[in-house]
Amino acid sequence: MSHRARFAVFVIGVAGLAVLYVLAAFRLPDFGGRFHPYGERAVTSAIAERTKNVVSSVNFDQRAFDTVGEELILFASALGAVVLLRTVRREREEEAGEHGYGPADVFDALRLTGYALLPVTLLIGVYIVAHGHLSPGGGFQGGVVLGTALHLLYLTGDYPALDRLRPVPAFEAGEALAAGVFVILGLAGAGLVIPMNAMVGLEVGCAIVLVLTKFFEQALLVRTDEAGKGEGT
Amino acid sequence: MVQAAIAAPALVAVLLAAGGRWLPRPLVDAVATGTVLAVTVLLGAVLAAALRHPVVAWLGGWRPRGGVSAGIPLVADPMAAGLALLVAVLTLAALVFSWRYLVEVQAIYHALMLLFTAAMCAFVLTGDLFDAFVFFELMSVIAYVLTGYKAEEPRTVHGALNFGVINSLGAYVTLMGIGLLYARTGQLGFAAMGARLPGQDHRLVTVAFALVCTGFLVKAAAVPFHFWLADAHAVAPTPVCVLFSGVMVELGVYAVARTYWATFAGAVPGAGPALASLGVVTALLGGVMCVLQRHVKRLLAYSTVSHVGVILLGVAALDHASLAGAAYYLLGHAGVKSALFIAAGTLLNRFETLDERELHGRGRRMRVPGAVFLIGGLGLAGMPPSGLWAGKSLMDEAAERAGWWWAAPVGVVASALTAGAVLRVWLRVFRGVGPSGEGTDEHEDTETGPRMSRLPWTMLAPAIVLAGGAVVLGLITGLIHGVSHAAGLFVDQRGYVAAVLSGGAWHAASEPLHPWTAAGVIGGAAGVVLAVPVAVLGLRRPAPRLLRPAVDRLRAAHSGHVGEYAAWLTAGVALFGLLLFTA
Repeated sequence: MSHRARFAVFVIGVAGLAVLYVLAAFRLPDFGGRFHPYGERAVTSAIAERTKNVVSSVNFDQRAFDTVGEELILFASALGAVVLLRTVRREREEEAGEHGYGPADVFDALRLTGYALLPVTLLIGVYIVAHGHLSPGGGFQGGVVLGTALHLLYLTGDYPALDRLRPVPAFEAGEALAAGVFVILGLAGAGLVIPMNAMVGLEVGCAIVLVLTKFFEQALLVRTDEAGKGEGT
Repeated sequence: MVQAAIAAPALVAVLLAAGGRWLPRPLVDAVATGTVLAVTVLLGAVLAAALRHPVVAWLGGWRPRGGVSAGIPLVADPMAAGLALLVAVLTLAALVFSWRYLVEVQAIYHALMLLFTAAMCAFVLTGDLFDAFVFFELMSVIAYVLTGYKAEEPRTVHGALNFGVINSLGAYVTLMGIGLLYARTGQLGFAAMGARLPGQDHRLVTVAFALVCTGFLVKAAAVPFHFWLADAHAVAPTPVCVLFSGVMVELGVYAVARTYWATFAGAVPGAGPALASLGVVTALLGGVMCVLQRHVKRLLAYSTVSHVGVILLGVAALDHASLAGAAYYLLGHAGVKSALFIAAGTLLNRFETLDERELHGRGRRMRVPGAVFLIGGLGLAGMPPSGLWAGKSLMDEAAERAGWWWAAPVGVVASALTAGAVLRVWLRVFRGVGPSGEGTDEHEDTETGPRMSRLPWTMLAPAIVLAGGAVVLGLITGLIHGVSHAAGLFVDQRGYVAAVLSGGAWHAASEPLHPWTAAGVIGGAAGVVLAVPVAVLGLRRPAPRLLRPAVDRLRAAHSGHVGEYAAWLTAGVALFGLLLFTA
């Protein structure tokens, strides 16, 4: 199919989709109406369970099974990164020190800021996870903060330090076990917002570290032996 | 009990992912196979319970009060429980086949297979549309990874990427549709939404149906959403193909049917004709493309496209007898196609290639795979008493009643084309018939590492059991009655809503169905008789000159270019919407 034909098919399709969507939008409910069936139901249910943060109540209690699915999606994606970005036969991993991604030559101020921010950011991550049932935040958001906090070390130019701080098997195991506990809590329990938040935080943090590790390895360490192919900069 | 069937494989999967690297390979195999065996037994018990009365379990104890609930139900009616059981049985066959199968990052492969089982079971058993979407995504993510497992080949990555892009686009469209429904009804459960659809604007309802079904139709590989399927099947490991073709693709049709009967029944008058049009085009185009292939896995993949088109046509009749036929057809197809993929896997293992011409005559000594190809070909042709034949006989009878006289011939053509192609492979590879042509010399991975002196029984037994079972399926009267009972419950929307939202009774009267009709037997015989010339003519090399431009154009359309696939996808949504409004 030529470029033009492809574009024509696409334009016709998108135009049709737009028409369909406009058709669906006729007779929208009035703005500011009083018809909020889901909101009323979710809020009443959350209050009945004494969970202050309704969003957390929906995520980890009322519709916990959805969150189980989402957790497993993240888990499967991290496994996928491990499988698909593994060093395959025609590639090899660089020996340590071959290229020297060691402490890069950066400003002392930058390095100091990174080192100082690391514990603070980790603390904030834990705080966000731990208060998910009361205030905005929770396992997903806190887990992302935790996972990215470690990578402040990369920003300071110290890849070896980051490498030492994240033993991959431990993070794989941590991610898997957190996902497992979450499956049990999500399918068996009810009203367990606090432990579920903690498990999500652990899983998300580990998964992010794992996925980023694989991408770092791919970008920094893995080389194809065939000259010129896949050679990074 | 229903929850345990989903939780058990997921839990063992995470444990294998966490600790599998320290376990010896046989132990990992034993743990994974044992788990799936336990899940199979568990789902058998669920099915037995569901046949007495459908099981509804509200997760977290969020039972509905006054017909509304904030929670998510799992609904195991006989159809859903039966499909989940099929998932477990096929996973069992795939895992037994994998015992001698070389996999890198070994325990992760097993973890992904178990997680895939859990995802498919949850997708089938959930009673909530948004939850179905979540598990649709989980199923898809795992499927992308499994497709790309042999990541060292560029074409593997290409196939997996096409699969990922097209399926994700379909899923987004589904999510748009869910958003529309949610915005107007304030509900996400199939039953709760269905109870509030009467009185909604019909345009909204129709568009929402079109959008929600799109993702499911992409999974079901209905034309023009089918392009990803052959690319993915050609590169995925053999046991993964078993699960893809055997059940994952068919789950797309199941989801369309579930969405229609639980939520939209009667609210979208165009649904039947629109789905039937897609089904007919899919059945025929898949059949033609199947005949044109010479890569055995790609050939089997297009045959799946064609047969899923027939199943979609059966569902589109929107009638309980036809749905029972479609379900039976699905069951027969799952057995035959899984066995054929396993047999193809043994060919790959012996000869490092799946090019039919390259393999010419080389399978003469492979008795079991040869027998599987012969039986599989006859099964696909719809030879009585195979499961495909019984299903088609029931579907044809229902179509006849609805005045769809063209449905039966379409089914016969699809059977003849796909079966002809498989029989051609049997003649050429296992009997050495026809001129020996030059192959492409393209060598593929054997999937087992060092060459084995002979094929182990673990690779052959699953194929024999599955193919053998599928070709006598039409004789098991009890199973036909069970499926017809399941279909009767499935189409009873009022019963579904009552059972889910208020714990009410869900009984459906279903008269017993009989596939042994004169028309059914003639249809089956016609499929077999027509498959023979397709096979024999296919052995002659050049296509007739008259057809060559059309053939070239068809091949060019299936280019592997993901942008083209995406363009067809958007056009397909628009076309499906148009059909729903005008049909």
